Amino acid sequence: MIRKASIALAAALTLGTQAFAADAPAEIKIGTLYASSGRYASISMPVHSALKLWVEQKNAEGGVYVKAFDKKIPIKLVAYDDQSNTATAATLYNQLVTQDKVDMLVADSGSVLTAPAVTIARDHKMFLFDQTGTGASFFSKDNPYIALMADPVSTIWPKPVADFITHDGPGLGIKKVAILYSTNEFTGTQANAVRKFIKDSGAPIEIVYDQGIPTETTNYTVIINNILAKEPDAVIHLGYAPNDIAFLRNVQDVGAKFKMLFCIYPGLETELLEKNVGAKGLQHVFTYVPPQELEYPVNFGMKMSDFKKAWDAKYKDGKIEFGFNSVAGYTTALVLEKTLSVATSLDRMELRKAVFSLSGKLKTLDGTFALDEMGGQIGELTPLGQLELNEHGHIKFVSIYPHETATGKPVYPRP
Amino acid sequence: MLYPLVAGVLFGLYFSLVGIGLNLVFGVMRIVNLAHGDFLMLGAFVAFGIYTAAGLDPLVGIPVAFALFCVAGLLLYWVLVPRLQRARDPEMLSFILFFGFSQVIEALTTIVFGTSERSIPSRQLASSLAGIRASLFGGEATNGPFRIFGLSFPASWVVAATVSVIAIICVYLYLYRTRLGTLTRAVMSRRDEAVATGINVDRVSAAAFGIGLGLAAVAGVFAPFMFGSFTPAFGIDATVTSFVVVVLGSLGNPLGTALGGVVYGVSYMLVQTYLSSWADLLPYVLLIAILLLRPSGLLGRRVRVA
Repeated sequence: MIRKASIALAAALTLGTQAFAADAPAEIKIGTLYASSGRYASISMPVHSALKLWVEQKNAEGGVYVKAFDKKIPIKLVAYDDQSNTATAATLYNQLVTQDKVDMLVADSGSVLTAPAVTIARDHKMFLFDQTGTGASFFSKDNPYIALMADPVSTIWPKPVADFITHDGPGLGIKKVAILYSTNEFTGTQANAVRKFIKDSGAPIEIVYDQGIPTETTNYTVIINNILAKEPDAVIHLGYAPNDIAFLRNVQDVGAKFKMLFCIYPGLETELLEKNVGAKGLQHVFTYVPPQELEYPVNFGMKMSDFKKAWDAKYKDGKIEFGFNSVAGYTTALVLEKTLSVATSLDRMELRKAVFSLSGKLKTLDGTFALDEMGGQIGELTPLGQLELNEHGHIKFVSIYPHETATGKPVYPRP
Repeated sequence: MLYPLVAGVLFGLYFSLVGIGLNLVFGVMRIVNLAHGDFLMLGAFVAFGIYTAAGLDPLVGIPVAFALFCVAGLLLYWVLVPRLQRARDPEMLSFILFFGFSQVIEALTTIVFGTSERSIPSRQLASSLAGIRASLFGGEATNGPFRIFGLSFPASWVVAATVSVIAIICVYLYLYRTRLGTLTRAVMSRRDEAVATGINVDRVSAAAFGIGLGLAAVAGVFAPFMFGSFTPAFGIDATVTSFVVVVLGSLGNPLGTALGGVVYGVSYMLVQTYLSSWADLLPYVLLIAILLLRPSGLLGRRVRVA
């Protein structure tokens, strides 16, 4: 009897496994957008290129392990060019969901081009792998269809900057702060957060200048003159890479010397900024310290040094800079891979469950992947640092705040 | 108040240079070159190439870019424009044709150079002139900020504004002091009558097209300094702003562009000072306002001939 039952069970298992394998798709379709031109190309192409690098690597190994089918399956990257245009992006996200019927939906880089995906994913109840869209409005308790892969959510990202100003600032003589930001979801949210942190701290800090300007601004000469008129002790400029390039060049051009100047992208896309602004123009600028400078221990995927080697081997022409966004793209890829390895099906809510199960456990070259209950990234934090020149005249990072990760003291006021 | 006014005049003079080529082409041929901004972007690449490959002052890019794109304009004219002129509605068809051309230029430039921002250190512009000044009068051979009324402005803006004024004067001299210029004005005034009087309209138009593209490329030489950086996608924005400047001054009147540029520049700087979040809307607001209040432009005739 037992023998018969065992045979029956073995037969059932065999048939079951066969059916399991037979149902497996020939490829896992990952749908995404990229911007090969326009304002966001410089933050989109590194992210997309990193994703492509991972796809090639995995397909060369026969694909990624998909637990739902208990086998390795090749990946097909379905990617369209939105040309930095949100209207085009909305159409193409729709196409990925409704026409291409991708298994996993990955947003383009940056909050501006992620915004249309958030709405579309939610409408179609499709889980969105948000690569670097950190805008606060994307994450809410009533939207379970999103998780942020690789940047801290903008509501907490600038905390080290605000904390440095409110904790250490008064001792250094910082009393008046100017905030200049580009009016988009990403930097607008960061500006709101900085303002809130400063006000809530109760520190004797006055915000003497607080202006939003269009993201497309390429000329800051008059604005810099207006800021100078307020005599701030610290200037916080929150913009995208082209904004930072234009702003920092204009600061040099008019000979303005702010005692403390914070910008986002000198830390995130250092190669690009150094090429355009020059090492001298970045000296003493405060910025975020990116993972490339921190060498986090990893439990999944390549280490930073290996990833850099793989990047340099694939993108030899140097047309796309290695930086924070390339690391973000690769981090997204690792989360996708890990998700497929733990999800028991490709159902949207099962994917969500799998992604959230990685929270606090997955350690990549970008730091510890950790999500809050709304899908906002709270693990991959970037300390505040200051850029200095080494003995060869090249840029180096000095971590300033929090004190436990500090590698040096701030240079304040800027000489 | 003084700072935005002076900055606006400098900035605006540069925009006169940005728009004057577009207006010359429209004035002579009644076609709208929607690829104008892309030629500007290519001019920026010429300056970038001259600086990075040869280490020369980007000012050297001015004659190089002008000559290069004048010739390109002449060749392009003979390939595209006569066919366009034979169409029933060349003005409308030119929109489509040059829009397509703009896309092709942007795509090809992206393939060749990539998408990243590029720029040239500001102090390199007119570094040769600074060197001559230093050897003659002493002091540092660098271009620091330039002081006007005790206020500090980027030296590159002053250089760009000066070159723009020289270019506008050259266009004026070409139009009013040369035989080809006189013929150009005749074609601008009445193309059909110019044909009837035996003027070689194609030759005149080809010259205007070449000069128009050449001026766009010269404006492009300054783009890395005026806009912080440039990418292959930079052309579309430049075309829109050029169009606003041209319509403000007067479509078909190249010299009106000088006024249009200054009005645009001063308005932009004032809006940036007092209503900074709205600065982006300015070109469109100005365009709507001028079309509603004075469709012929600030220096235009009451009835548009085109």
